[in-house]
Amino acid sequence: MCLWSGCQPTVPKNKIKVFIYSLKKYVDDSGVPVSNTISREYNELLTAISDSDYYTDDITRACLFVPSIDVLNQNTLRIKETAQALAQLSRWDRGTNHLLFNMLPGGPPDYNTALDVPRDRALLAGGGFSTWTYRQGYDVSIPVYSPLSAEVDLPEKGPGPRRYFLLSSQMALHPEYREELGALQAKHGESVLVLDKCTNLSEDVLSVRKRCHEHQVFDYPQVLQEATFCVVLRGARLGQAVLSDVLRAGCVPVVIADSYILPFSEVLDWKRASVVVPEEKMADVYSILQSIPQRQIEEMQRQARWFWEAYFQSIKAIALATLQIINDRIYPYAAISYEEWNDPPTVKWGSVSNPLFLPLIPPQSQGFTAIVLTYDRVESLFRVITEVSKVPSLSKLLVVWNNQNKSPPEESLWPKIRVPLKVVRTAENKLSNRFFPYDEIETEAVLAIDDDIIMLTSDELQFGYEVWREFPDRLVGYPGRLHLWDHEMSKWKYESEWTNEVSMVLTGAAFYHKYFNYLYTYKMPGDIKNWVDAHMNCEDIAMNFLVANVTGKAVIKVTPRKKFKCPECTAIDGLSLDQTHMVERSECINKFASVFGTMPLKVVEHRADPVLYKDDFPEKLKSFPNIGSL
Amino acid sequence: MQSCRRKSLWLALLASWLLGLLGILPLLRLAVPTGPRAGAPQGWPRWLDAELLQSFLQPGELPEDAPQLRRAPRGGSCDWGACFDTSKCRSGGFKVFVYPAAEPTSEMQHKILASIEGSRYHTVSPTEACLHLLTLDAPAGACSLVPPKWNGGKNHLVLRLHPASCSGTFQLGWAMVAEASPTVDTFRPGFDVALPLLPEAHPVRGGAPGQLRQHSPHPGAALLALAEERGGWRVAATDSSACPWDGHCEQDHGPEQTHPGAALPNATFCLIPGRRADALRFLQALQAGCIPVLLSPRWELPFSEVIDWTKAAIVADKRLPLQVLAALQEMPPTRVLALRQQTQFLWDTYFSSVEKVIRTALEIIQDRILGASAHPSLLWNSPPGALLALPTFSTSPLDFPFYYLQQGSRPAGRFSALIWVGATGQPPLKLIQAVAGSQHCAQILVLWSNDKPPPPSWPETAVPLLVIEGHRKVSARFFPHSAISTDAILSLDAHSSLSTSEVDFAFVVWQSFPERMVGFLTWSHFWDEAQGRWGYTAERVNEFSMVLTSAAFYHRYYHTLFTHSLPKALRRLAEAAPHCVDVLMNFLVAAATKLPPIKVPSGRRHEDASPPRVPGDLGPAARDCIDRVAAGFGHMPLVSSRLRLDPVLFKDPVSVLRKKYRGLEKP
Repeated sequence: MCLWSGCQPTVPKNKIKVFIYSLKKYVDDSGVPVSNTISREYNELLTAISDSDYYTDDITRACLFVPSIDVLNQNTLRIKETAQALAQLSRWDRGTNHLLFNMLPGGPPDYNTALDVPRDRALLAGGGFSTWTYRQGYDVSIPVYSPLSAEVDLPEKGPGPRRYFLLSSQMALHPEYREELGALQAKHGESVLVLDKCTNLSEDVLSVRKRCHEHQVFDYPQVLQEATFCVVLRGARLGQAVLSDVLRAGCVPVVIADSYILPFSEVLDWKRASVVVPEEKMADVYSILQSIPQRQIEEMQRQARWFWEAYFQSIKAIALATLQIINDRIYPYAAISYEEWNDPPTVKWGSVSNPLFLPLIPPQSQGFTAIVLTYDRVESLFRVITEVSKVPSLSKLLVVWNNQNKSPPEESLWPKIRVPLKVVRTAENKLSNRFFPYDEIETEAVLAIDDDIIMLTSDELQFGYEVWREFPDRLVGYPGRLHLWDHEMSKWKYESEWTNEVSMVLTGAAFYHKYFNYLYTYKMPGDIKNWVDAHMNCEDIAMNFLVANVTGKAVIKVTPRKKFKCPECTAIDGLSLDQTHMVERSECINKFASVFGTMPLKVVEHRADPVLYKDDFPEKLKSFPNIGSL
Repeated sequence: MQSCRRKSLWLALLASWLLGLLGILPLLRLAVPTGPRAGAPQGWPRWLDAELLQSFLQPGELPEDAPQLRRAPRGGSCDWGACFDTSKCRSGGFKVFVYPAAEPTSEMQHKILASIEGSRYHTVSPTEACLHLLTLDAPAGACSLVPPKWNGGKNHLVLRLHPASCSGTFQLGWAMVAEASPTVDTFRPGFDVALPLLPEAHPVRGGAPGQLRQHSPHPGAALLALAEERGGWRVAATDSSACPWDGHCEQDHGPEQTHPGAALPNATFCLIPGRRADALRFLQALQAGCIPVLLSPRWELPFSEVIDWTKAAIVADKRLPLQVLAALQEMPPTRVLALRQQTQFLWDTYFSSVEKVIRTALEIIQDRILGASAHPSLLWNSPPGALLALPTFSTSPLDFPFYYLQQGSRPAGRFSALIWVGATGQPPLKLIQAVAGSQHCAQILVLWSNDKPPPPSWPETAVPLLVIEGHRKVSARFFPHSAISTDAILSLDAHSSLSTSEVDFAFVVWQSFPERMVGFLTWSHFWDEAQGRWGYTAERVNEFSMVLTSAAFYHRYYHTLFTHSLPKALRRLAEAAPHCVDVLMNFLVAAATKLPPIKVPSGRRHEDASPPRVPGDLGPAARDCIDRVAAGFGHMPLVSSRLRLDPVLFKDPVSVLRKKYRGLEKP
C-alpha cells in the first residue's frame, strides 16, 4: 500500500496524509439512493480525521483516501450498489490506498465477520474480524463504538473488589450460552449475575438502559460497575458494543468468542486488560477467573478503564488510533512503542527506562578519554596532563580550551605523553562546553577532569575507571555531596559535610558514559543548560540530576576522597568553603528540582573501594595500593 | 479563478447533501455548512444539525440479531481455541512427550531431543503428556509416516527447523507447526510458532554471546551494511545514491568495501532483503548487534507472538527505499542505543543456542495454556527475559527483582533471615541475637536439618522466630518456603558470625542492588590452563566472582528459580555434592543478571575462623563441582568484580561518632 509519492517525505514529518472525498449522493439505475445518508458517527469520524494532523485537502498529496460513503453498519447497505459507488471514486484504482470503516459487518443468516461489500485492495478498519477474515498487518481491527459512551454520564469507579464476581449483561445470547451461564449462576450463587432483557417494563422506559434478573431491574450500564468480571460473548457478530461499556465500567472483560480479533490487537496488549476464554471452556470460566490474584485483577481493571479512555470512548479516539496504526506501518522507524500504547499515564510517569539497560561490562581495553576544561591555568593544566597520562587505561586526552582571548600554548610546549592529545577551542567561555559530545571522543568512558585536579593518584584514577566499567550507566566520582530537605525553610539544601550518605559526585573528576554528554547538550530539561552557563556554576549538579533522572540510579562515590585539595588553589574546593557558594549551590538544587518536576537524586550509604582496601594484607599484592587519602 | 472553482464545488456539495438528506429525512431542518476557516484546509464541513443525524447503531437493533454459536473450524484451518485441548495440561502441568527419532536422524534432531529430555517438561509417557512433539528434520522421504499416537494431530507440535524438510508429506490435521522462518501466507498467528532459521552448526547449549562490546556505536562505524545476494556483506554508500540496495547498482562500488566472506562489517544498521533465505542473515546481524532493517520480509519474524521486534529491528517497506535511508540517517541516538542493546538481549536470551530456541517455543505454548497467568509482555521483552522470569512465581513484575526501576518502585525495607542448621550445627543463639537486632529484620526462620531434635526453647527476640524441621538435603535451604514473607532473604549458616552493623549495612546496599547477591565472603573462579578446566579459589585476591551463601542477602525469587528451573542434571549434582549449592546459586544469579555479586566489608572474625563450608584448599571434588556446573550451563556466566562497597566513612580518620556503621570499624 501507499506506493505513491504522496507518502514520501511530508510535513509534519513521518505523518501520512489523508484525503476525504466530498459528500455525494449515489443512486442506482432507477434513481433510488444506494445508501442512507451518513450516520452521526461517520460524520464524527470524518470530522475527527479532518481536524487531525493527517488531513489534507489536496488529493494529489494524499496517501490514504477515505470515502464519504458510510459503511459502518452493513445492515443499512445495498451491497452491490455500494460497491459500484466506491468504484466511481476518482482515485479508487481497485481500492488501492483507500480506507473503509465498518463496525457491524455481515448480515443474516451467516453474518460474515468482514464487510461483504467487495472492496478489492481497500484497507478495512473493521469491528468483529475473525482470524479467518483478518489480514494481519493490512486490515485494522477496531471496536464497535457504543453510543452509550456519549449518552450516559458514568463517573469513574476505581478498581477493587465489587459486589458481583462475574456478570453477564448481554441481551441477545444464544440459548445454549444462556443455559451455560445459568448453570454458572446456579453453582456459584450470588457472586454470579446473569441479566436479560426486561419483559414487563412500562412503555416509557428506555429498554436498552434496563436489564433484568427475574423480577429485579437494573440500570444499564451502571450495573457493570458492580462487577469485577463481565462476560463478552459472541452475538450474531463477533464484535460487540458491550465490550466498550464493560471497559468503561472498569469491569474486566471475559471475552468468549473464539477466533475474534480484539480491537487494535496489533498494538494493544489485551492480556493486561481482559481474559480470553475458549467457548468450549465456558463451564470452567469461574475457576479460571478465581485463579487470578487480586492484585492482578485490580491491575486489569485499571488497564480496562485506560483502554476505554484512550481508544474506545469516542469515535475520534477510534479514528485516530486507526490512523496511527497505519501510520506506524508506513513509518516504522517513528512508530509508537508498546509502552506508549499500553501503559496508563500513571505508570508512564513513575517508570524509568534506563537508556543503558543492557548489563554489559565494557572491555578494559577500550579505555577512556580524559576531557580537561581549562581557561588559562597552563602550568596546572600541564601537570594534570602529565599525571593523568600515567593512568594505564587512558586512551586519549582532550583539552577544551575555553579562553577566546588567548591562544593555547604552541604545540612544542605541551607535555609529551603516550596517548593522542587534542585541543579543542570553543567559541564561547561556557561551562557546558565540558559536557559537549565532541566527535573526538571515541571511547564510551569519559573522564571529566578540572585543570587543577592534580592530587588524584594514578591508582585512584585507574580504579575509578574499573568501577565505571562495572557501572557504565552511572556517574562515578570521588568527593561525594548530599542534598537534604531543610524542614525549617521547606526547601532543598546542599551539604558538603562529612555525612554517611551521598547523592551526588563532583565532576571536577568523574567518569561517565559519553551518551550523557549528548543528553546534557541536547536533552537537558527546561532552561537549565542556559541557566548554568549564565551563572557559571552548578554544571556538575545539573549532570547529577540528569543522569539520576534518566537512569533512576544513584551515583557511585569512589575511595575515601572528600574534597579536591590543590596547592595552587586558594581556599577552594571548587569554591565550596565559601558561604555564599553554599547558598548558590542550594539554590541550584531547588531550581533544578522544580524544572525536573521531581527530585531525581538517589541517596546511598555506600562507596566503592578496591576489594582489599585497608585489609590486613601485604600492600604489594594489592592491585590498587596507592588509593590516596581524604 | 481558484476561489471560483471552490465556490462551485461548495455549492455542488451543499446541493448533494440536501438531496441526500431530503431523500431520507424530509422533515429535517436544512443543513448549512460553516464557513471555511481562513488559510487552513477546509476539511470536512461541520453540519449545523449533525446532532440530528441518526446513529449507525439503532437502539434495539442488535437484540434482534440472531445470536450464533461458534462455528467449527473450516477448511482445515485451526486456531488455538478450536484445535488445542488444554484440559490435559491443567491437571498434570505442562508435560511434553517427544517422539523418538525415526532413523536416519539428523544431528539437529539429536540436539533437540537431548535438550528436551534434559528439561523439566519432559515426560516419557505419551498419555500424561499435554504436548506431543514431533521433529521433522530427517532427510526428505524419511518422514512420511504418521506417528502412532497422532490422534489427528491434536495437541501436537510439529517442529521443522529447516524450511525445506518434509513439507506436505502428510496431513497436519490439528497440529501446530513450529517452523523456521515460515512464510507469512501460511503462518497461523496464535497457533503456529515462528522459529528462527538456524545455521547447521548452531550450538546445543550455552552458545556464543552477542558480539557487542559497547552500548553505543563506535564513531568510526559505518551507518549501513547490506546483505548481498551472493552471501557476505557490503558497506553501503549512504550519500545520495538512490539505489543502495536494489542490486542494480552493484557495478557502482566506488569507495565501498566489499566483504566477500560472511564476516559482518562494523555497521550500525544491517539491511536485509525480504527473501526467506535471508532469515539467516537476520540472526547473524542480531548477534553482531547490527540493527536489522528488514525490507518487507516474506517470512514471519521468530517468536513474533511474544517478542516485540519493534524494539530491536526495523521492518520497512521495500518500495520506499529513499525514505528508509533518510530515516536511518536521522534516527536519534537514543533510539539507536535502545535498538542495539535490545538485539543483544534477544540474541543472548532466546537465540544463541538450540536449547534456548526450543525452550522459548515451549514457553510460548505454555503461556497460551496459562492464559491470564502467562508472562506479561514486559517479562518477555526486557532482561533477563521470559526463560528466567517464571510466571509460576508471579505475573506481577513488581514481585521480581529485575523490574523495580521500570515500575517506578523500590524494594521494601525488611528482610527474612534464613538460618540453615546442618547435621553438625548447634543452635545459633548468638547469631539470632545479632540478626534480630537489625531494625530491618522482619522474621527469622531456622531450617533445622539436624538429626537431633531442635531445642524446645529459643531466645526471646523482637521479631517472630519460626523453626522449620525435617529438610535433609542441602538444596532444601533454597526451597521457596511459603513462610518467607519478605522479598529480601538473608541466608545464613548456623556457624556464621555477623554483627548487627554488618547486617544493617549489607541490607541497605542490597536495596540498591536487589537483583544481585550481596555477601561478605567471596570466591573467585579461574580457568585452569594446565588442567583445561574451570577452578575456583577461596584465597583473598583482588577480585571475586561468587559470594558464599553462608552469609548473603538476595531476593526470594532466586529460591523459586533454584528449585524450579534448574535442569535435571544440575539438580542431581546439587543433591549429590552439598558444597556445590553455593556455586550453583552464584551461577544461577549471574546467568540472570550477567553481573557480578557485591561484596561488603566483613569484620576480621569470620575470616580467621575458616568455616567448614569454605574449602581453603579446595579438594578435587570441589574443583570438579564448578567444572560440572559450567558444563551444565553450557557456558561460564560468572563475572568478576574488583570492588567492594563500604560505608561512605569507612575507616576514614574521623570521629567514630560521626559514623553510622561503627560496628564495622572494630578491630
